[in-house]
Amino acid sequence: MITLLQQVLLRCAALLVAGSERREWLAEWRSELWYARRELGPRRAMLFCFGAIHDALWYSRNSSRCGVREIANLDSPARCVGLLTVFAAASLLVAYHIPDRPPITDQRSEPSFLLIFVVACLIIMGPQSLSLADYRANRSLPCRLTRLGRWVFLAAKIALILLTSYAPLRYLDYAAMAHPRGRPAGLVVQFVVWGLVFTFRWSLHDQGERCPVCLRRLGNPVRVGEPAGYFLEWNCTEFMCLRGHGMLYVPECHTSWFNRPRWYYMDCSTGASD
Amino acid sequence: MLGEANLSHSAAMILHAIAAGSNYGLSVMQMTGLPSGTIYPALRRLERDGLIRSQWERQSIADAEQRPLRKYYRLTRTGQATLEASQKRYPLLAKLTSASETEQP
Repeated sequence: MITLLQQVLLRCAALLVAGSERREWLAEWRSELWYARRELGPRRAMLFCFGAIHDALWYSRNSSRCGVREIANLDSPARCVGLLTVFAAASLLVAYHIPDRPPITDQRSEPSFLLIFVVACLIIMGPQSLSLADYRANRSLPCRLTRLGRWVFLAAKIALILLTSYAPLRYLDYAAMAHPRGRPAGLVVQFVVWGLVFTFRWSLHDQGERCPVCLRRLGNPVRVGEPAGYFLEWNCTEFMCLRGHGMLYVPECHTSWFNRPRWYYMDCSTGASD
Repeated sequence: MLGEANLSHSAAMILHAIAAGSNYGLSVMQMTGLPSGTIYPALRRLERDGLIRSQWERQSIADAEQRPLRKYYRLTRTGQATLEASQKRYPLLAKLTSASETEQP
């Protein structure tokens, strides 16, 4: 029964691997599983088998990228800002074509746009803190200009998101005036609020996953430690800057001593000093 | 190509394990103590970056021993150079993997 389950697991995970690489991937995992059963026993072989899912996910993320995936690849800060600029420009273009609102007949029906922003901000700040990561746990920090660049990048993203929301807001303005009691305005309010919440949260999450020096997305995630050794060692996921600027440790569970991601710069002090 | 600066501690451990003779996924896992979900994607990354090279063993060898074919990994020259650089960066690397070796039954 366990053997069958393991085979099903491998088969399902193999679906994530690209067709051209699937056969070899499956052959390697089947072979390794055969040895794992002999050397680790059935229970640990089952745990071993779960690694196939991580491996298949890695394949699905890193196999040759095509079309849409390549466009949506926001690893570089320039590409990220570029894509947001395209969205903002498209939004402005659409907003330009929305007709001007009709004259106000019923003042009570006008929705408060400021309220939409306030509600969106409250929803973002409510569930968790807005802190990105602890960058100060280092002996030497990069120069002020580099640190400023990080905030400029975040500000640019938020500004472009706000610009992108201009077209829906303008439509909301128009729809609310044209159909004061109609459904379109209500739907667009919801769309704008949740859209802003989602994109603001994305911009903060994205910021936290970038190197503070080169602003590129971090990669190579590795699990460090075990939940069982929780009070004795780190239990987190380690990400690293692919240009070698440093590493980010994201805690699996938040504790009083390790409650937010911690960034360590790879400076000369990281090297060995015999 | 991956430079010495951007080799994480776990990747350096895996590279060190391969250099020490653990030349297939399961043995790297046993030597480093890292889970399979970390080891195999890391092996793919290291191979993609040209630090290791994989090769299936010959069918005749596996047939003679009545076991499945196995995929072996070995260091490339770049991998060897990167490992030497990372040993300077992580001086406890050798001790960590040797501790795992002694812990094994």
